[in-house]
Amino acid sequence: MSDLDDFKATYFDECSELLNELEEQFAAIEAGERDSDRLNAVFRAIHSIKGGAGAFGFSALVGFAHAYETLLDYVRDGRVELTDDVCALCIRANDIIADHVKAAQSGDVLDADYGMEEKERFDALARGEAADDDETGGESIEEFDIDFTPVMVNLDAVEEVAEAPAAEDAFDTAPLQPETGHWEVTFTPHRALFERANDPLLLFRELALLGQMHTRAVLGEIPPLANFEPFAVYCTWEISIVSPTVTEAAIREVFEFVEGDCDITVTQVGAPAAAAPVAKAAPAAAADDGLDLLALADDEVGVPAAPAAKAAAPKADAAAQDKFEEAPGLSFSELAETMAPPPKPVAPPRAKPAAIAPAAAPAAEGEDHGTRAVGVQSIRVDLDKVDRVVNMVGELVITQSMLTQQMDETLRARYTELVRGLEVLAQTTRGLQDSVMAIRAQPVKSVFSRMPRLVRELATKTGKKIKLETIGENTEIDKTVIEQLSDPLTHMIRNSADHGIEQPDVRLGRGKSETGTIRLSAEQAGGNILIIVEDDGGGINRERVLQVARDKGVIPPDTNPTDEQIDQLIFAPGFSTAAEVSDLSGRGVGMDVVLSNIKKIGGSVHVRSSTGKGTRMTLRLPLTLAVLDVMLVKVGDSPYVVPLSSIVETIQVSRASFERVPSGGQVLQVRGEYVQVIDLAKRFDMKSQTDQDSRFVVLCEAEGSQKVALIVDDIIGQQQVVIKSLEENFERVEGIAGGTILGDGNVALIVDVQGLKTQLIHKNAA
Amino acid sequence: MTTLRVLTVDDSRTILAMLHHTLSNAGFEVLQAEDGQQGLDVLMKESVDVVITDINMPVMDGIEFIRHVRATGNHQSLPILILTTETSQDKRELGKAAGGTGWIVKPFDPEKLISVIHRVVH
Repeated sequence: MSDLDDFKATYFDECSELLNELEEQFAAIEAGERDSDRLNAVFRAIHSIKGGAGAFGFSALVGFAHAYETLLDYVRDGRVELTDDVCALCIRANDIIADHVKAAQSGDVLDADYGMEEKERFDALARGEAADDDETGGESIEEFDIDFTPVMVNLDAVEEVAEAPAAEDAFDTAPLQPETGHWEVTFTPHRALFERANDPLLLFRELALLGQMHTRAVLGEIPPLANFEPFAVYCTWEISIVSPTVTEAAIREVFEFVEGDCDITVTQVGAPAAAAPVAKAAPAAAADDGLDLLALADDEVGVPAAPAAKAAAPKADAAAQDKFEEAPGLSFSELAETMAPPPKPVAPPRAKPAAIAPAAAPAAEGEDHGTRAVGVQSIRVDLDKVDRVVNMVGELVITQSMLTQQMDETLRARYTELVRGLEVLAQTTRGLQDSVMAIRAQPVKSVFSRMPRLVRELATKTGKKIKLETIGENTEIDKTVIEQLSDPLTHMIRNSADHGIEQPDVRLGRGKSETGTIRLSAEQAGGNILIIVEDDGGGINRERVLQVARDKGVIPPDTNPTDEQIDQLIFAPGFSTAAEVSDLSGRGVGMDVVLSNIKKIGGSVHVRSSTGKGTRMTLRLPLTLAVLDVMLVKVGDSPYVVPLSSIVETIQVSRASFERVPSGGQVLQVRGEYVQVIDLAKRFDMKSQTDQDSRFVVLCEAEGSQKVALIVDDIIGQQQVVIKSLEENFERVEGIAGGTILGDGNVALIVDVQGLKTQLIHKNAA
Repeated sequence: MTTLRVLTVDDSRTILAMLHHTLSNAGFEVLQAEDGQQGLDVLMKESVDVVITDINMPVMDGIEFIRHVRATGNHQSLPILILTTETSQDKRELGKAAGGTGWIVKPFDPEKLISVIHRVVH
């Protein structure tokens, strides 16, 4: 409501200026300056006062101002002479206007007959002088009282105003009316229509909202090119509209602006058609799919044609059809076939990569795509083109979520059709996104399948017995990631075979089976893909790693890193523990290559070793370009998002439940388990806006099922976001995994739960 | 997503404010001018998708404004909507004769305003 109040305030300000202006003008007019500029200024002032009053529903003011304005109009064009009498009447009228404005401002109600005497004199003056004027006869002031009902404009609650008799509004609910059903419209625009910037295409678009529409362009009048006048109009359209509710008035209203600039006939044919049930779905499809075609088309284009409607369509004018086919240029029906897809409101199931190509395959072959590894038809597409589609879909997702955000409760209640449409849109967008991602995605199998041979070679060369197990090879990852994956993976497996798995006799001596196992697995974990290389070898020899690191100056000699930190040292640049550089693992480069390659594609590597039992290296890779399901939270007054995949639960706890620990951190007891606490506001240097007793806590699970509790100021809700790289656009920020653009255009940062947790460990260790 | 730009021309601040509110809520970008001359000045510098203009304005009224717009080379297909009251049928005709595309009846209903704009803008 405050908007309306603001407008009213603006209006009353404006009124007082205008009233001052009136006073000034009349002072000059009384002094004899009766030129048209002054009269025009007076007229405009009254007109403006009336205009605003109409918008706010000050009907008494509107009524009086209108009568006054009419008189001024007559005075202005000389039909009424501006005598001293009339001038005095006007000055009196200004006072009355001022009183009306004051009353409107204070909410007082003036006597119903206040100003009536003056108004009657206006009427008399106008009637007396204008009686012989045909053109203005229709604008007599009595008639005004009947015709002019100000519409109360409530800008905040559009739905309240919309009781206007707009034909479209009646669409959903109006009962079947006798004069409705199937209409035929012939429409021949004149040149003037185009000269006033009207466009038949837009008229058809609006017409299509009324019901099922078929257009036929009669092109027979188009002359040979030599005689073709670029600005002449040669085209007539025959349009049929089928809807149970449409009226002639509604059809004519569409052509309201072009009346006189076109030839138009509207005739009704037959009884209401049986196409009624589909009528609701049709307009949207027609408007979206067939827009360009509607204007051009020669046949039922752009509208999912119900048989009944087809049968009832305008008599198939064979002559026009023939003439059309002679017409030069495109074949519109061909165009129509390629461009008008069947409406499919439900999102297609997520396509497997193997199924991408079949999109181009004949529909008759639509069997189980998954089983047809051989003979799959495919097309080669430039990756750039795919990326463009991926980007646009990303933007589409943002737009779609913005639209959904805009729908508040009142709008939802009012526009049920729109809400349904938005739901379908959301579904379709999701489906589209999945399909597009699927185009880029490939199963990791293509990389994994190279590894058995590698392991065999390694086993032969080292004299070890190694078997390779692969798990989850159908997991799909973005193509770019796959390409970057091959080298690091090869390196990691070499490392396991070379350094991890022991010689058979050593294994036997440790009570293990002779044959070592390297397990290679892939799995999707929320927004990440985890590639794990695990061996049951001897584990990392920490003493030696530390020794080498110190010797090579990788770490200063006086530091005492934790076991975990020692393990991570194998990724340090220039580090290699093999006593003699073997031609398998060595090659002069160490595991640092793995790390840098993985970091390049936004991933991370984590190693965990258990002496005598084995080593486990985990690659955490992003599903790049993927859409992330997130929880939107507020920290300070900024939005942040937490990947839904890492959230265990969200809880509200009192301030008192947080306990300090000697190391300086905080912990929270959740169902008997102590969880480390990270106050995001403190961590990100935001000013927390909450001073309430209870805090919102997002309980997250980091790697190795370690929990961490994030304190946030508010929990807003779940949504999907498109990940934008922070490194690419800015630089790497600790504790932040990336950024995203929210539906309202704001940027939100994606919280890196794992990163925060790791920092916490390091801080506590330090 | 391209945002449609609307030039609103009216000497009443109230009307300009209400148009601005309605149009920007509907996702349009709104430019404003207080009379026809200012409107022409804006059109010289900015490209817009549709113009909404009042008729009664100081300096240059709406009719003259429309004539000027149509007379300049690249604005022949620019949709121009005239703000009129229900009773001023003759103003509509004048506006149309000058090259106006359609009209909006004051006081305008927000929904109707948007739907009328969509009738004349791609």
